[in-house]
Amino acid sequence: MDEEEDEDEEDEEDGDMDSGRPKKRTKHRHKKRNAVNRFLDVEAEVDEDEEEDEDEEDYGREGFIEEGVDEEVDDMRRAVDHARLNRRERELDDQDLARIAEDMKKRYNQSAVRYTGDMNEIPQRLLMPSVHDANLWQVRVRPGKERDIVFSLMRKAIDLEYTNKPLSILSAFQRDSLPGMIYVEARSSKQVSEAINGLVGIFPSRGINLVPIEEMASLLQIKKQDLTVTPGSWVRIRRGKYQGDLAQVMDITENGEEVGLKFIPRIDLNPKDDTTADGKKRKKMGFGNMSSTTMRPPQRFFNYEEVAKVYGRKQVSKRNQVYVFQNDTYKDGFIEKDFKLSALQLENVNPTLDEITQFARGMDGAENDNAVDLTIIAEASRKAAIAVLQPGDHVEVFEGEQTGVDGVVQSMEGDVVTIIANSMELENQRVDVPARSVRKKFKPGDHVKVMTGKNADETGLVVSVENNVVTFLSDMSMQEVSVFSKDLREAAEVGSGTNVVGNYELHDLVQLDLQTVGVIYKTEWDSFRVLDQNGQTRLVQPHQISMRRDSNRAIATDSEGHELRVGDNVKEIDGEGRKGRVLHIHQSHFAFLHNRDYNENGGVFVTRARSLASLAPRGNLLKAGTDLSKMNPAMSGGAGGGMVGSAMGRGPRDWVIGLSVSVIRGTYKGYVGTIKDTNGPVARVELHTNNKIITIERDKLKARNPDGTLVPLDQAAFNGRGKWGNTGNMGPPRTIGSYQGGRQGGTGGWGGATPGGWAVPPSHTPNPYNNSGKTPAWGGSSRTPNPYADSGKTPAWSAMSRTPNPYADGSRTPAWNVGSRTPNPYAGGSGGASSGWGGATPGRPTESSGGWGLSSGGASPNKNGGGWGSSNDTWVCYCF
Amino acid sequence: MASVITAAIPAQARAKQLRACLLCSIIQTPADFRKSGCPNCEELMQMKSSPDRIQACTTTYFDGVIAVVDPEQSWVARWQRTSKYVRGMYAVRVKGRVPDDVEAELEARGIKYRPRDQTDQD
Repeated sequence: MDEEEDEDEEDEEDGDMDSGRPKKRTKHRHKKRNAVNRFLDVEAEVDEDEEEDEDEEDYGREGFIEEGVDEEVDDMRRAVDHARLNRRERELDDQDLARIAEDMKKRYNQSAVRYTGDMNEIPQRLLMPSVHDANLWQVRVRPGKERDIVFSLMRKAIDLEYTNKPLSILSAFQRDSLPGMIYVEARSSKQVSEAINGLVGIFPSRGINLVPIEEMASLLQIKKQDLTVTPGSWVRIRRGKYQGDLAQVMDITENGEEVGLKFIPRIDLNPKDDTTADGKKRKKMGFGNMSSTTMRPPQRFFNYEEVAKVYGRKQVSKRNQVYVFQNDTYKDGFIEKDFKLSALQLENVNPTLDEITQFARGMDGAENDNAVDLTIIAEASRKAAIAVLQPGDHVEVFEGEQTGVDGVVQSMEGDVVTIIANSMELENQRVDVPARSVRKKFKPGDHVKVMTGKNADETGLVVSVENNVVTFLSDMSMQEVSVFSKDLREAAEVGSGTNVVGNYELHDLVQLDLQTVGVIYKTEWDSFRVLDQNGQTRLVQPHQISMRRDSNRAIATDSEGHELRVGDNVKEIDGEGRKGRVLHIHQSHFAFLHNRDYNENGGVFVTRARSLASLAPRGNLLKAGTDLSKMNPAMSGGAGGGMVGSAMGRGPRDWVIGLSVSVIRGTYKGYVGTIKDTNGPVARVELHTNNKIITIERDKLKARNPDGTLVPLDQAAFNGRGKWGNTGNMGPPRTIGSYQGGRQGGTGGWGGATPGGWAVPPSHTPNPYNNSGKTPAWGGSSRTPNPYADSGKTPAWSAMSRTPNPYADGSRTPAWNVGSRTPNPYAGGSGGASSGWGGATPGRPTESSGGWGLSSGGASPNKNGGGWGSSNDTWVCYCF
Repeated sequence: MASVITAAIPAQARAKQLRACLLCSIIQTPADFRKSGCPNCEELMQMKSSPDRIQACTTTYFDGVIAVVDPEQSWVARWQRTSKYVRGMYAVRVKGRVPDDVEAELEARGIKYRPRDQTDQD
């Protein structure tokens, strides 16, 4: 081998000489040859053997002439030379092959290079970026496009690599947790903008921002909370039909991508029966399911018989222990399905006790599994339990060396809890235990409060403790509630917070939609349970409630025709004969009752008012008397607001409303405005000048005529009446005097400042209230032949009664109804006088179904009066 | 740079099928892994024409994509310990560990195995 090499070298030297010498001599030819490629040269050498020979001849001739060798020798020599040359070429070829092989090997090795992991030894901190490294530049991109853009950059870099404008970026990357941005590693921002130029989805206008060197590493270190699942742990399904459902992990694939889950199936047992459009429909349904959960079939354990009945036996096949139905496997009633890890919610799973028990129930009714399952859930929420421990909590150690020790938490440090033990041998010693090994301890009789979860803020008395499940009797609902001890805390207070959510509280009457009202019978963490008037319960969020309704003044009639009010104790006369206290009355028809003795719906139930009877029968007189004392303006003073107590309800519209007035005294003296509203002696005036509404005493106001003259308000009120009484035809029967009288009767408009005028209406006068005694003016007119009295005969009146009448307002108010119960002066023509207020009024309609206010005219007094009877319809129409 | 070998760049960034090598974190499609194996650590992983090995040695569960254009110069590549590897797409974080046999082999060679899930930082 060595020899060969030597020879090679020689040959090469020779070759050099060969190629050198002819150059000198035959310049012409060899110049050309030199110019050609080396590879061609090799091939050409063979072809040019002849020429070479000539060269050799020349060479030999020249060289050997010097040495003096003759022609024969030259011939021999030539042959040897030939051989040598051939050999040399062969060897060169061999060498080339070897080299090529070696090259190939090298190249091959490069791709299957021995894995050395040579960079693995360097600690990460030594890899921190330095000032010599290129910078990272943050580039804003369209969210969702980050990954595509990084790929595009890579492709672009490769494409442009051998062009005259290669990209000079070093790298680019994207993080899933940083949406809307990518990072490009380059020496300058110009290089970055060159690189991103022309790519779609990049927002260069939002700037190419330099990432500070100290933040570079953290960009690559961001990691999501490391989510690990272990068989047995609980997860929730993120999407699809089972969105939000709890599932238990059964197994995990080796690379941790897919998880085998077990959960309660939702099989639609009422499938739409056209199977042809099945695929299409399911697709639609899928989307529908996302938005509205209404279409989602309920959770239900797989039952072969049920499913086979609906879908046919062929659809369900049995293999070993499991059923296969629509490509899913079902075992023990559960569905077993593989899910991608990304489709699962691993954090904040917080399985509820209900869900767990449901799971447990599925175990073919094996009750003993229950406890086992609870430990699993406890395990799942163990971490959370650590977080809720606080110094002062009474805990016990339930695992490890110190099992059974109980004590009070002294302090916490990380996962270690220091407790002061209470047990005998460790009395008052400080013990360090891992936080996960302790649980809060409660004993029957403790008063506790729930801190988190569905029952948050509920309080109650512990009745039993079983491992980590504490059952207590709620102060509020008087029901037993089971919660995990971790969610409890000892508390002296009685829970009340849970009664109020948002603006609504327990037992409020709330409007759910146009037709539906309901009573809140249970408040939960952020929602209510509501019983509506149809007896249905529903779970509503505060935002689903349009308003709270006030039924304090609502009145209904009970089965005996007596008045029924909120707060009355009543019982049902039919049905179950339930007793209860009236919480609310709705439309004089429905009564919501409450009785703590009933567990259902928190003791709230709904019934018809007409099927109720008062538990404490009250004498009509007595009852009426009490009520009337409130209603009687004389008795309640009548001054001020003039609205007699709340029972009177809203009065009629004041005349003066809408009047243009001037302020004659006070700060606002001289201002001009319009009366918007009045309330007793004060009026709300909208000032013309700045559109402000002020509240001002009426006696500081004077009405302002169009010509600018001022007149006292009351007078103006009358003057103005024509305008919105809209009744020229009303005019005639009236005299100014009557109104004047009215004015004298009460300066407060209808304040009744002269109670006498009200209190005892002379028996022969029509009761001002009956006349829808909206205003004292009418009261004052009591001595005049009342235009209303003639109503039956006066066309003017009837005509007016059909017009939108300001007085009509009054008919909706209790005021009117109060009147309705008095003996109607028009009917009998005789005054019931004050005694007429009594409940024992002949005029009182007993068959009125609605009772008050909103009743359909049955409550109106006209049953008695023929004169009124004729105008019945008109009054009815007022009622609404 | 001209001599730098480039890994197969997946055509579709959105392809759900992208897989990242558990050892070197390179991202390729399963087809590329099957065709030519892992360009960096094929010697150990031997994924070429072996779908089972590809399943075991790569994962779809990764976070963050790096386009490494110039591994030698790039700090990002150095930080990710991929500067000695081919050009290509790499994952920032890869969940999972290499199969036991690979880990044992690494240990036998005295190579420190660094999982790509950033669990150990020193």
